[in-house]
Amino acid sequence: MTEHAIEVHGLSKHFGAFRAVDDVSFHVETGEIFGYLGANGAGKSTTIRMLCGLLGPTTGDATVAGHSVADDPLGVRRAIGYMSQKFSLYVDLTVEDNLAFFGGAYGLSGKHLRTRMDEVLTLVDLRDARTANTADLPGGIRQRVALANALLHAPRIVFLDEPTAGVDPASRRAFWRLIRRLANEGTTVFVTTHYMDEAEYCARIGLMVAGRLVALDTPSALKTLWVPGTMLAVHGAGLGPAARALDTLAGVHAVEPFGAGLHVRVGADLGDGAAVTRALLAAGASDVSVVVTEASLEDVFLAAVATPEGPAATAAGGAK
Amino acid sequence: MNGIRLFFLRIYAVAFKEALHVRRDVQTMIMALVMPVVLVLLFGFGVSFDLDHLAIAVADQDHTPASRAVAHALETSSDLRLVGGLDSAADAEQAFHRGDAVGVLVVPRGFAAKLARGEPSDVQLLVAGSDGSTAIQVLAKAEAVIGASAARFAAPGASVSLPISVATYIRYNPEGRSALMIVPGLVAYILAIIAVLLTALAIAREWERGSMEQLFCTPVGRVEIVVGKLLPYLVLGVIAVLLVLAAGAWVFDVPFRGDLWTLAAAAVLFLIGMLGQGLVISVLARNQMIATQAGVLSSMLPSMLLSGFLFPVENLPTPLRIFSNLVPARHFIAALRGVLLRGNGFAELSGELLALAAFAATMLLIAALRFRRRLD
Repeated sequence: MTEHAIEVHGLSKHFGAFRAVDDVSFHVETGEIFGYLGANGAGKSTTIRMLCGLLGPTTGDATVAGHSVADDPLGVRRAIGYMSQKFSLYVDLTVEDNLAFFGGAYGLSGKHLRTRMDEVLTLVDLRDARTANTADLPGGIRQRVALANALLHAPRIVFLDEPTAGVDPASRRAFWRLIRRLANEGTTVFVTTHYMDEAEYCARIGLMVAGRLVALDTPSALKTLWVPGTMLAVHGAGLGPAARALDTLAGVHAVEPFGAGLHVRVGADLGDGAAVTRALLAAGASDVSVVVTEASLEDVFLAAVATPEGPAATAAGGAK
Repeated sequence: MNGIRLFFLRIYAVAFKEALHVRRDVQTMIMALVMPVVLVLLFGFGVSFDLDHLAIAVADQDHTPASRAVAHALETSSDLRLVGGLDSAADAEQAFHRGDAVGVLVVPRGFAAKLARGEPSDVQLLVAGSDGSTAIQVLAKAEAVIGASAARFAAPGASVSLPISVATYIRYNPEGRSALMIVPGLVAYILAIIAVLLTALAIAREWERGSMEQLFCTPVGRVEIVVGKLLPYLVLGVIAVLLVLAAGAWVFDVPFRGDLWTLAAAAVLFLIGMLGQGLVISVLARNQMIATQAGVLSSMLPSMLLSGFLFPVENLPTPLRIFSNLVPARHFIAALRGVLLRGNGFAELSGELLALAAFAATMLLIAALRFRRRLD
C-alpha cells in the first residue's frame, strides 16, 4: 500500500497580488496525524479549504482520498470530515439535532443514522449530552461534539482546522487523546494548530511561513535540522545586559530570551556550558546556572520564521 | 433510484433543520405570523380612501327657507359635515387657512327668488385645493347634495334636472368600502416584505456564523439547500396568508366569492417568488444587515407603488407600467381581487398565475445558479 491519503502538487492560491499559499507540495500517509503549523495568516486555513474542495486552487492540484480537489470537489467532500475553525455547531439546536442534520446532509437516515450517532457519541464520550442545548455546553465539550459531527459518515480523512483554539488545557489533552485514537483506528488526521505542545503529538509536521511550506518532517528530525547543537537553559541575575557578550563568543549559534532566563544554543565543543558561564560572569551577570535542555518545537518555529530560506542559513548566521 | 432518494433526503435534512431554527426563534415566528395580522388590522382601520364628514361651511347671504334648506341638506348628508355659518364669501379664505373647512358653499342673495321665478339660480362652491383628492370628493358630494335639494325648491316647470340622468351602481363593492380595495392589496404588500426578509435573513445568517462553510463541505447541493431552505418558510407563509384572509373576512367583511384552489395556487406561487427573491438577495449579500435593507427596499417599494395597491396600474407612466408586469405583487393583488370580490377561478386568472409562476421560477433559477458552492 503506497497510496497516500493526501497528495499535494505545487498548490497555490492567490488573492489578487497576495499569495496566500505559494507552490506547496507534500503528501500525507494513510493513518498518520499530520500537523500543519504556522502563524495566523501563514496560509494554513487556505490550504485546508483547498484540500476540502471549498476553494479552487489558482495553480496546482491535490488528490484527497483519490479525488482531485480541482476536478472532483464533490468526491472529496464525500470522503472527508471537516471541522472548520469558525463554526462548529448550530448553537440553537440540541446535540442530537446537529448530528441528525449533518448525518442527513451526508445521506444517512433511519436506523443507520441512529447507529452512527450512537457510535460517534460513544467515541467522544458524550452519550449523556444528546438532548443538551449546544449553547449551554462549555467550549471543550462543544469541540468534541463538533468532532463527532465530522466523523458521522465514517470519513477516511478528517481535517481539523484549529480544533482546540480557545479550549482549556485539560480539554485539549482529552481532545488529542481522541485524535490519537482515531489515527490508531486507521483514520488519517490533518490538523492545524498554533499550540507547539500539541504539535509534538503529530507524526509529521509541515511548517508554513508566509504561504510557503518551509519545513516538513517528524518533530525530532525538525529539531535536529533547525536547531542543531546543544540547547542550554541559563538562569541567573543580570542576564539581560550580559547576554550581548555571547554574540561574540565562537560556537554560540543563537540566544533567545526564555521565561526569566535564556536559551542559548551552542556547538558541541561548548556543550558543557562552562565557557558560556564564564563569558556571562565576565560581562557582569551573577548567580549563573546552566543546564542542558531539549530544543522545543517553539525553537524550531522561531528559527523557521527568522530564516525561511532554510536551516543552513541559520547555522551559518549563528556561527560567528 | 438511490440518487433521487439521497436528493430528497438531503432536502428533508435541510428543511427539517431550518424548521427547528424557526421553532426556536420566537422573533421569526412573530415576524411571520403575528406581524401580517397586526399590520392588516392597523392599515385596515387606519387607511381609508372613504372621506366621511368632510368639513363644509356655508355662507348664507340669502337667509330664506330655500337657502337654509340647502344648508340643512348638507348637514344631514353622511359624507359632509356642516362646520358653521360664515358671514361672507371673504371669510372662506380664513376658514381654509385655519383648516376649519375644506369647502365653503356661498348662497348668494336672491337665490330663493330666482328659484321661485324659475330662473337658473347659482350657488358658489369654494374648495380648498391643497389636497387634490379631497377637493375632488368635496366637489362631487356637494354637487350631488345641492342638486337634489335644489330640485325640491324649484318652481314647477323649471328645468333643474338634467334631461338624462345616470344611475350609478358599483358592482362587487356597492357600498364603495375601502376595506374591500385595501385588504387584498395589503395581503400582497405585507407578505411580499416578510417573505423576502425570511429567506434573506436565513441564508445571510448561515454566512455570518460560518455554518455555510461547514454546509459546503458536505455533499448537499445548491438546489437542495435552496429548496430545503424555502420549504419551512413556505409553510409559514401559507399560514400567514390564511390568518390575514381570516382577519380580513372577520373584521372587514371581505367576502370570498371565488375558487379556493385558484387562490391557494396564486398564494403559493407568489410566496415562492418572494422567498426566492430573498434567496437571491442573501446569496449576493452574505451579511444580515445588507440583506435586510436590500430585502425591504426591493420588496416594499414595488409592492406598494407598482402593484395597483395604492395607485391604479393604468395611471402609471408607460415605462413604469411595463415594468410593473415584473412585480409579483401586482399579479397577486389582481388574483386576490379576482377571487375574493369577482368570484373568479382558474379560467379568468390564468394570466396572473402564469406570471407568478414565471417570476418564481426565474428567482429560484438565479438563486441556484448564483449560489456558488465555493468560498471564492
